[in-house]
Amino acid sequence: MNAEARALFERRIVVCVGCGGVGKTTISAALALEAARSGLRTLVLTIDPARRLADALGVEDLGNEPRALPREALAELGVPPEGSLSAVMLDMKRTFDELVERLAENGESRDRIMSNPIYQNVSDALAGSVEYSAMEKVYQLSEEPDYDLLVVDTPPAQHALDFLEAPQRMLEFLESRIVQLLIHPAFAAGRFGFRIFQRGAHRVFGVIEQVTGVGFLEDISEFLLAFEGMSDGFRRRALSVRGLLEGPDSAYVLVAGPGPESVAQSHQFLDRLEGFGIRLEGVVANRVRLWPDGPVPDAIEPTPRDIETLRDGLARRAGEGFPAEAAARAAIACAEGYAAQVRRDAAELETLRARVESHRRFWRAVPELDEDAHDLEALARLGRLVSESTGEKS
Amino acid sequence: MAQARGDLPLLDRRLAIVTGKGGTGKTTVVAALARAAADRGRRVLVTEVGRDAHVPRLLDPAATEPGYEEREIVPGISVMRIEPFAALTEYLGLQIGMPGLVARVLQNRGFRQLMGASPGWRDLITLGKVWHLEQMVRDGRPKYDLIIVDAPATGHGMTFLDVPRVVAAAVRAGPLRQHTLQVEALIADPERTLLIPVALAEELPARETTALVRRVRNELSIHVDRVIVNAVHELPFSEDLGDLDAQLAGLPDVIDFEALPPPAVLARCVRYLRSRWQLNQRYLEEIRRQTELPTVALPYLASGVRGAEDIARLAEAVIAEPRRETLT
Repeated sequence: MNAEARALFERRIVVCVGCGGVGKTTISAALALEAARSGLRTLVLTIDPARRLADALGVEDLGNEPRALPREALAELGVPPEGSLSAVMLDMKRTFDELVERLAENGESRDRIMSNPIYQNVSDALAGSVEYSAMEKVYQLSEEPDYDLLVVDTPPAQHALDFLEAPQRMLEFLESRIVQLLIHPAFAAGRFGFRIFQRGAHRVFGVIEQVTGVGFLEDISEFLLAFEGMSDGFRRRALSVRGLLEGPDSAYVLVAGPGPESVAQSHQFLDRLEGFGIRLEGVVANRVRLWPDGPVPDAIEPTPRDIETLRDGLARRAGEGFPAEAAARAAIACAEGYAAQVRRDAAELETLRARVESHRRFWRAVPELDEDAHDLEALARLGRLVSESTGEKS
Repeated sequence: MAQARGDLPLLDRRLAIVTGKGGTGKTTVVAALARAAADRGRRVLVTEVGRDAHVPRLLDPAATEPGYEEREIVPGISVMRIEPFAALTEYLGLQIGMPGLVARVLQNRGFRQLMGASPGWRDLITLGKVWHLEQMVRDGRPKYDLIIVDAPATGHGMTFLDVPRVVAAAVRAGPLRQHTLQVEALIADPERTLLIPVALAEELPARETTALVRRVRNELSIHVDRVIVNAVHELPFSEDLGDLDAQLAGLPDVIDFEALPPPAVLARCVRYLRSRWQLNQRYLEEIRRQTELPTVALPYLASGVRGAEDIARLAEAVIAEPRRETLT
């Protein structure tokens, strides 16, 4: 293992970020496996509702509680007795329910929240609650003493940033005047009790009520009231998780892929990370087509004698009836075609590589494999490529 | 009963919602569909959802970032980006009819914070705006013949489409409930709306597409009649040279070319291209079998999809008759 991987694994949390379709989930699992091979008790969390991690690990029933991978399978891949690998997939509804269980003052207030129609729907299906739940899950897991390292796989770019913003948004929400007004006992006393409050608030509620009907606001205020007893707990947890994600215990790795969209999005992603003041450890360029034999030639331009040599060689080897001439031309066309793809990947990644290296972050180009890494052995190979290569200069 | 609903050509729908796992080339498909529809005289609107809008530049290199106003960037194709707060301002303005009050409310810091922390409304107001655009009439006919929604990536795309149902369940009365039901009715109407999943012919995208189609069938009432499979590699030589890489690998390495890579490298190149082709064929078949839907394959362009010329090349392929079997 190289120094960069070792530095990465000394943290408590490694967050893998990046845009969709670059193999982020696979790289997260591969990094986690590599950490386990270095002797760490490792847990990998996916918050992507698309269930890709279970696919890559070959675990069918991955759920909201960590599942340890079988020790024998791990031992075969070189995981020492002190190391281990577990995986967990975010279940939004269960995580939210657990949070309520934990923070509710008593059984009665818990039941009030659980039976509220707003709560039932918000925690179940709506998009924004992924980030709230993810925030809570990362916090829960980071408190578990059973793991040395937590590797977090995130949803595609746009939503990974929501994830980073979630604690902040939660705090702003809880501290906002409007929430304070909504949960004020005077509001609960009677439907229109809040009208004695400031005119501004009056107008705001009036507008909401016109659009949603009266029942909706009542449900919301009841929901917030029930939550009031827990808001201190929420605030403490939101602050803690923010501290955790922005603090020295967390490391960020960007996974990128070749292809103009991915590279452009990766640049935007780096901009936003810098905006958050978060230090990136490095970039894994995944599924890059690399030339098998040193630097890729600028052009494949065989001489007439080369074509003859190749044709005659093929004719001698394959025997009569083999279309050696066509085969020679096909082979040359393939070399040209593949070289073009290798050059294209290198050219597309060049701006990203230059940016990363000028900031003295690590850069790894991982070759595209014939098959997706869909079992543990393939993940282990990939993990070694990420952590042991000396830094491929494409 | 008229014709089977799946028989309606794609371009005769009003709303095409394009979704797919990130990196599958959803943007390419949206641009190619828009191009194909405009080439047939349809008035097309592309609506971008989310922060990153890449479609306009594929149609016109000079295109700037789309805004909330619809803008015709090339003849017949307009683009816009649905910004949720802008849509909310418009909606409340229409509902309440007091623009000054609406503006004051939306500038209220507390209100913005409440909305900033409230999940789901962005998706709902976005779909509401799509519904509103679908209803728009100009010169006695719909302002847009076809609205193409560049929807979020699969995982989130599902909750995006589920929002009307969820809100209709949570909001018990009032105009919001009425409007939500109208949005739901549009999305569930197979005559007007088609969901178009975009996939790659590779293992994980294929599995994810299968999961998406099954969920759509079981949980959402939105019509889906094909899967568009992007970046399908073609075999660069005829199949009777099938074991070409083995033949090349068997050549003695003493062969000394003047300007050609050694036989082992040639063999690797052939093997790579052939294995990509095989992989794609296998998962095309797998997608058809698992989803029980026909596929439309777009060719892999070795130089990438960079602009209007590439999109024009893909525009015919994207509206081709969906295929049920592999041609051999």
